[in-house]
Amino acid sequence: MLSEERRVESAALSGRASGRLTNPDVRDEFGLETLDMNMGPQHPAMHGLLRLILELDGETVVRCDPVMGYLHRCQEKIAENRMYPAVVPLTDRLDYFANMHMEHGYCLAVEDMLDAEIPPRADAIRVLMSELMRLASHIPSIGFLMLELGAFTPILYSFRERERIQTIFEAVTGARMMFHYIRIGGVKADLPEDIPQRIWEYIEGLESRFQEDFVNLISGNEIFIARTRGVGKMTQEQAVEMGVTGPALRCTGVDFDIRRDYPYSWYPNVEFDVITDTEGDVAASYRVRIAECLQSIRIIKQVLENLPEGEVMADLGRRIRPAEGEGFGRVESPRGEYAVHVVSDGSDTPYRVHYRDPSFCNMQLLQEIVPGHYLPDIMPIMGLVDPVSGGWDK
Amino acid sequence: MFLVLNLAAVFTIAERKVAGYIQLRYGPNRVGPRGLLQPAADVFKLFSKENVSPTRSDIWIFLAAPIAMFIPAALVWMVVPFAPNAVVADLNIALLFFISMTSIGALGVIMAGYGSRSTFSLLGALRGAAQMISYEVPLILSLLGVIMLSGSLSLVSIVDAQGGGFWHWNLWLQLPMFIVFYIAGLAEVKRVPFDLPEGESEIVGGFMVEYSGMTWALIQASEFASMGLMAAMNVTLFLGGWQPPIDALDFGNFNWIWFGLKTALITFTFQWIRWSVPRLRMDQLMDLGWKILVPVCLVWLFVTAGAMLVLQGF
Repeated sequence: MLSEERRVESAALSGRASGRLTNPDVRDEFGLETLDMNMGPQHPAMHGLLRLILELDGETVVRCDPVMGYLHRCQEKIAENRMYPAVVPLTDRLDYFANMHMEHGYCLAVEDMLDAEIPPRADAIRVLMSELMRLASHIPSIGFLMLELGAFTPILYSFRERERIQTIFEAVTGARMMFHYIRIGGVKADLPEDIPQRIWEYIEGLESRFQEDFVNLISGNEIFIARTRGVGKMTQEQAVEMGVTGPALRCTGVDFDIRRDYPYSWYPNVEFDVITDTEGDVAASYRVRIAECLQSIRIIKQVLENLPEGEVMADLGRRIRPAEGEGFGRVESPRGEYAVHVVSDGSDTPYRVHYRDPSFCNMQLLQEIVPGHYLPDIMPIMGLVDPVSGGWDK
Repeated sequence: MFLVLNLAAVFTIAERKVAGYIQLRYGPNRVGPRGLLQPAADVFKLFSKENVSPTRSDIWIFLAAPIAMFIPAALVWMVVPFAPNAVVADLNIALLFFISMTSIGALGVIMAGYGSRSTFSLLGALRGAAQMISYEVPLILSLLGVIMLSGSLSLVSIVDAQGGGFWHWNLWLQLPMFIVFYIAGLAEVKRVPFDLPEGESEIVGGFMVEYSGMTWALIQASEFASMGLMAAMNVTLFLGGWQPPIDALDFGNFNWIWFGLKTALITFTFQWIRWSVPRLRMDQLMDLGWKILVPVCLVWLFVTAGAMLVLQGF
C-alpha cells in the first residue's frame, strides 16, 4: 500500500508523457478500474520503436502517452564534432524514409551560411530526387495504413513501387537508402546518361498503374471507408496549435506547403498544386497523399522536360569554414516541414546543429486525438501521422 | 484425428500458396515438389521448439486451452458426410452437435486469453468471446431455413434432400440465408475481415500471443480445421454436399470428388477475402451482426415458412 504522500507523488508523476506506468487506482461508480496497457516499443505497428502508454476503458482509450527515445543516436551532438561535409551522411539516418530531403535541408542551411551559388542543374537534380523520394515515401505509407487496418497485400504492391524507385536511386547515387548524394554546393555526380529516360519510363508506367493498383482497390473499399472516415478527426486550430505540418496539416484544410510558400531550389520553376482536404481525418490524409503522389509525378515530368545543362557542383574550396553566424534551411519532406538550424563559430565543425523533424512534431497529435477512440483506431491514426522512428528520435 | 491434422496441413499450404500468388510472390517453394512438403517441415520445426509459458501464467489453463480448442474443431468433422455412406457418425442431431461444438471453441479462446495473463491476450479473448457468441445467433438462425426445407437435423438427410441436379440445392431457395451463413461462418472461425481476436496490427496475435511451439501449432491447426469445417458446412448445407451438379456426372462412391471440389472452392474464397480486405472494428462488427444479419435471417425465415405453408396448402 502506498502512503498518502507517495500516492500524491505518483499521481503527479503520472501526468502526461512522464514515461511511467502508474495506476492511480481510479474507479468509476461501478467499481470498475481502467486497464493500463503498454504498447511497444516492440510492437509491429509502432513505426519503429515507439512506446504508447495507454489507459483503456474497455476498448476505449482514455489516455495515450507516447514515449520516445528508444532509437536516440545523439545525431545533433555527433554533428558538432564532425566537419561540415561529414554531417551529410549522418542526416541520411534521420528520417530513413526520406533521406534525400534530410540531406537537402542540411545542405540548404550550410549553403545559407556560405551564401553559395548553386548551379541550376544541381538544383534541378535535387528537386528531381526529392520528388522521387516523396513517391517512395508516400506510396509505402499508404501500404502501411492498409497493413495497420489488417490488409496485408497492399504493402507488397507499394514496396514493389518503392523497390523500382530505389533501383533508380542506386543507379544515380550508388546506394539504395543511405545516399550521401546531395552535397554542400551541389550534388555528388551528374545523372548517368540513360537515367532521365529511365525515370521518364518509370513515371509513365507508375501513372497508369497508380489508379488501378491503389486508388481503385482502396478508395472505394467499404471497410476501408468505415475504418477511416471520422477517425482521428481534428480541427484546423488543433493542428496549427500542435505545430503539425505536411499531409496531416493539409488534410484539415490549412493551405501550407514549404515548396510553394518558402520556395527553395528548383521549385520556383515548376508548377504544382498544393493539395488540401477539408475533413481532417484519416481518410482525408489518405486522399491528400494519393493526390500528392500525382503532383510529384507532374513535377518530375516538368523537371525532366527542362533539365538545365552545366555543372552540378559549385566550387566552395576544399575546406568548408563558414564565418561566424547562423544558417537555416527548410524543406517540405513527405511528413511535413523539415528545418535545419546550423550555428557556426568560425571553425570547420558546426557549433550547433538542430533538426526540426516533422515526425517528432506531428507525434504530439497522438496525445490530443487518440483519447476517446477505440483501441484499433490507434493504428489508422498512426497512419495519419505517419512518423518514422529515425526522425523523432534523431 | 489423423485425418483432421492432415486436412489442416493441406489448408495451411493452400493458404500460403494463395497468399503468395495474390501478393506477387510464389509462396513456399523449397521443401519438396513446389513446396508441397512445407507443412511437414513446419510441424517438425514446431515439435522441436521449446514450449515457453509466461512466468505468471495460469499454467494449467494455459496448457489446456489449445486442447480445448482443437478437440471440438476436430470432433465436428465426424458428422460431415464426405460421400454417400462415407460419414463417421450419422447423428440424427448432427446440426445441433455442430453448433454446440463450435460454441465450445469460444471457451478455448477465453481460456487461452485468461491463462496467458497478458493484456493483449485478455483483450483478444474478450473480443473473441463477444464475437463468437454474438455471431452464433445469425449462424443458427440461418440454419433454420435449411432445417425446415429438409425436415431433418441429420446432415446425411439434408444432403440427400438436395439430390437431382444443382437446381435442387438449398442455395437457390435460401440465397439470403447462404450469404448470412457464409459471413457468420467467417466470423465464427475468426477469419479476415472478422479476425479481431487476433488483430495482429493492434493486439499482435491476441489470445495466442504467448504461445509457442506445439501449443501454438495446435491453435493454428484448430483454426485451419475449423476454417475447412466451415467451408464443408457451407457445401453440405447449401451447395448439395457430395451431390454432383448434374446427374450424368454421378460417380457413386467417388462422389467425394465433388465434395472436395466444392470445399476447395469455398476455402479459396475464404482465402481470397482474407488477403484482400482490411479488418472491421469491434463496434462495426457488432452492428453488422445484430442490425443486418439477424434481421435478414428473421425475415427470410418467415418468407420460407409462409411459402411452405402456401405451397402445402395447394
